[in-house]
Amino acid sequence: MKWLCSRRTRFGPPSAWLFIIALVLLFPQRGEAYAGPGAGFAVLSSFWTIFVAFLYSFYALVTWPIRQLWRMFRQRKAYGKAQVKRVVIVGFDGMDPELANRFMSEGRLPNLARLRDNGTFRPLRTTFPAISPVAWSTFQTGVNPGKHNIYDFLARDLKNYLPFLSSAQISEPKRHLRIGKYSLPLGKPEIKGLRRGTPFWHWLGKAGVFCSIIRVPATFPPERFPGVLLSGMCVPDLKGSQGTFCFCTTRTNSDKFREGGVRIPIERNGAGFCSYIPGPENPLGTGSELQADFKIRTDTNRAQATIKIDSETFTIKVGEYSEWIPVKFKAGMGFTARGICRFYLKEISPEVEVYVTPVNIDPGHPDLPISHPVTYSIYLAKLFGPYATLGLAEDTWALNEEVLDDQAFLAQAYGNHEDRERMFFDALEKTPQGLCACVFDTTDRVQHMFWRYLDKDHPAVRDVPQDQKPRVIQDLYDRMDTLIGRVVQQIDDETLLLVISDHGFRSFNRCMNLNAWLHQNGYLALKDGKSESGDWFEDVDWSRTRAYTMGLNGLYMNIKGREREGIVEAGAEAEALKEELRAKLDGLVDPASGKVGITGMFDCDAVYAGPYVDNAPDLIVGYGEGFRASWDSVMGKVTTAIFEDNLKAWSGDHCVDPRLVPGVLFSNRKIAIEKPAIVDVAPTVMKLFGLELPSYFDGKPWTVVGDRQVA
Amino acid sequence: MIASSILSDTPLLLVLAISIVIGLLMVLVFRYTSDQKAIGRAKDQLKAHLLAVRLFQDQLPVVMRAYGRILHGTGNYLRLAFTPLVIVILPITFLIVQLDRYFGWLPLQPAQTFLVEARLEDPGALNQAVLQLPPQLSSSAPAVHVPKDKEVVWRVVAGRAGRYDIHIAAAGQTVSKQVVVAPGLARLSPARLKDNFWERMLTSGEPALADNSPVQSIAINYPAREISFAWMEWNWIILFFVVSLVAGFIFKSVLGIQV
Repeated sequence: MKWLCSRRTRFGPPSAWLFIIALVLLFPQRGEAYAGPGAGFAVLSSFWTIFVAFLYSFYALVTWPIRQLWRMFRQRKAYGKAQVKRVVIVGFDGMDPELANRFMSEGRLPNLARLRDNGTFRPLRTTFPAISPVAWSTFQTGVNPGKHNIYDFLARDLKNYLPFLSSAQISEPKRHLRIGKYSLPLGKPEIKGLRRGTPFWHWLGKAGVFCSIIRVPATFPPERFPGVLLSGMCVPDLKGSQGTFCFCTTRTNSDKFREGGVRIPIERNGAGFCSYIPGPENPLGTGSELQADFKIRTDTNRAQATIKIDSETFTIKVGEYSEWIPVKFKAGMGFTARGICRFYLKEISPEVEVYVTPVNIDPGHPDLPISHPVTYSIYLAKLFGPYATLGLAEDTWALNEEVLDDQAFLAQAYGNHEDRERMFFDALEKTPQGLCACVFDTTDRVQHMFWRYLDKDHPAVRDVPQDQKPRVIQDLYDRMDTLIGRVVQQIDDETLLLVISDHGFRSFNRCMNLNAWLHQNGYLALKDGKSESGDWFEDVDWSRTRAYTMGLNGLYMNIKGREREGIVEAGAEAEALKEELRAKLDGLVDPASGKVGITGMFDCDAVYAGPYVDNAPDLIVGYGEGFRASWDSVMGKVTTAIFEDNLKAWSGDHCVDPRLVPGVLFSNRKIAIEKPAIVDVAPTVMKLFGLELPSYFDGKPWTVVGDRQVA
Repeated sequence: MIASSILSDTPLLLVLAISIVIGLLMVLVFRYTSDQKAIGRAKDQLKAHLLAVRLFQDQLPVVMRAYGRILHGTGNYLRLAFTPLVIVILPITFLIVQLDRYFGWLPLQPAQTFLVEARLEDPGALNQAVLQLPPQLSSSAPAVHVPKDKEVVWRVVAGRAGRYDIHIAAAGQTVSKQVVVAPGLARLSPARLKDNFWERMLTSGEPALADNSPVQSIAINYPAREISFAWMEWNWIILFFVVSLVAGFIFKSVLGIQV
């Protein structure tokens, strides 16, 4: 993401210097000045802090009566009809109601069990499809995907059949200044959010209800509203990708990783080694990729290595992660992109191997806004230290590619989780009244990667005896239960607690390449002489293709006048084709296992309504239990095999028939509804705070037993 | 030779050079005598609490807690800065006192009139006090007695450049005081005092007067030196303070030192 680079001054803001000079000119007398700069250095920083605090205090004091009046007026409006003082929403991405129920029956999860017994526990209906950005977009806007425009992680470009990120678009600054071979960007990168609809905390904020929102998916780019928000899933890394790790190794291997990472050689350099981290594209238009060089000096006796990158030098042992390390990618002419990453020392003998996490946007110096206000991410970084900002920060690709092992992945995932717990509890403290919502996605990542140990017959671990399979998912649920226990201790009777998930989970042991099926059944054509395609439909003959699939659950028809090379006439022909595909695919059986691979084909016209329905896939594929789209199919590749075993660590999934994977709803109060849905959360919270519901909402507010006026 | 001539004529350059070097030394001393990580953390926490005041300004309990944490954090920061402060403050004070001998006052110039002020123990002895001058200096007016302050003041004119001893005889004893008539920089002692260690250290550059001396102090009213810099007249210590501070802040940023 070359336009991420920014020009920065090395020293503090001019106001700081003006203040220092003013201070020095005003105060020191001959005698006191003998203390000189020694004392000056020691006290200036704290004096500066107190001075700023004093200014804030003065401002707060002077404006307090006006603000208090204004607040009283607004809060009467907001809390006058409120039935709760505070709503706390803890989101566990992917927490499964069946598993939760099973663990509670086994006597685990005492805190969730208490919520079930004294309040509410229900499955929570999810969206079509049951994919996080889709479901969390519905959660925050209270509408179906036809009104918020998010149908998958990816959407397709009708002009070229290529994918783009469905939630946000980041493009170069419009204006550049050409100087010789350089092209200087004039201005900031343009970030455009593609999710439509209004998050319900905007309504609450406007009504004077303070909201703290932490890492709810599909909140990037952060939007202005009266509250604080830290973006979550969909925040890119410094390269602009959804996470590209770097695996530096002395081993010679020309294989490329299928997804999510790059292999970088480590070269011997005197007594040590050197390598680099690839960064964003050069913002000066040279077409080259920036890189941050680093040096490694190994110590085999102590099983450790010392790494020097820029001005940072640190030592890590084999099998250990470093702290978050700041990295700078210098482009020249004062342009620098800043990020943070962690190093993991995999091996130092006989070969040297270092894994580097994707370079995250530095929350302390964000080159792209990742919070609202921008200072909120800085505040959190100052309070707790640097933290992962990438949307998908747990590096599932590295585990899938066996660059990381189970333990290294879990250490990374739980490290991130602990940071988020700290942020969440801080937000809880800072929101004594209003809405505090936080989504923890460790539940999703760990279940994706470790379901193989829960499934008795997963092909990825068939050779591991049942009694030797680690109980990773049980441990995960235990941890989340402990978290809920801590939350319950910190809330009072006037607080409504909702613990929700966007979807559940199922085993993913068979991959299905729907593009291969379409090819073999005459709906998708390859160029002459080809039996397989490359990624993103390379070698697909669009002039003879009637249907194709990309992404996790969407199936598209190649409609004339819509797709660039469409051949299916809209109207009757398209409807007939859709029916034909539905009939053939619904109930499709995997010949090898004899199981039903697809249990539902859902017509977008039936499941969506709203202004953005035209962007939706024509059919949503509901894979059966144990099945999911193959990675090749997701990436628009046609293979010869339709079904195959899933041998990857990524062994659990939710991109299946949404009816199979509802989420969870726990609450500390009784909620009188039999079949709650995630779309109901927004209207429910708004109603609890006494706000009128917008007429376009699709969700219906629940009746929370024990509601009472608190204002 | 040329360089030394320039330097001696322009104390500004010397003050600037010394200030920059001291600024650098100070941050280096601070770097190696402080817990850099802890200071970094303490500063970050302070900034976080300041931001909290701004971010959550409408929530009074949150703001009040943040103020409390700011005060606590400031105390913590000062505690962390205390060790390097103690290490730095003594040598720098000594150094500045020594430099003040050179930069604090201007030496007398030939033909310039100046005052010699002697303070006696016994006001009754004022009439017997006699100023004895070398031939290069001469008295230009009769002595003025100020019994209320136990002082006698002489107006003297410098003849030509040189370093001279003047003598004051009173109550049967004679004490001396150095007078410097010179162009450019010179080490000056504006007063000679009885044995008050701290006062002598700060203002005198000569041995103490004897305890039984009838004279308490002898002072020469050297003109204070003002240094022209940035269209302003500066006392050198103020200039030193500002420049060394600015240099220190620049060096700490360049060297990545937490202060």
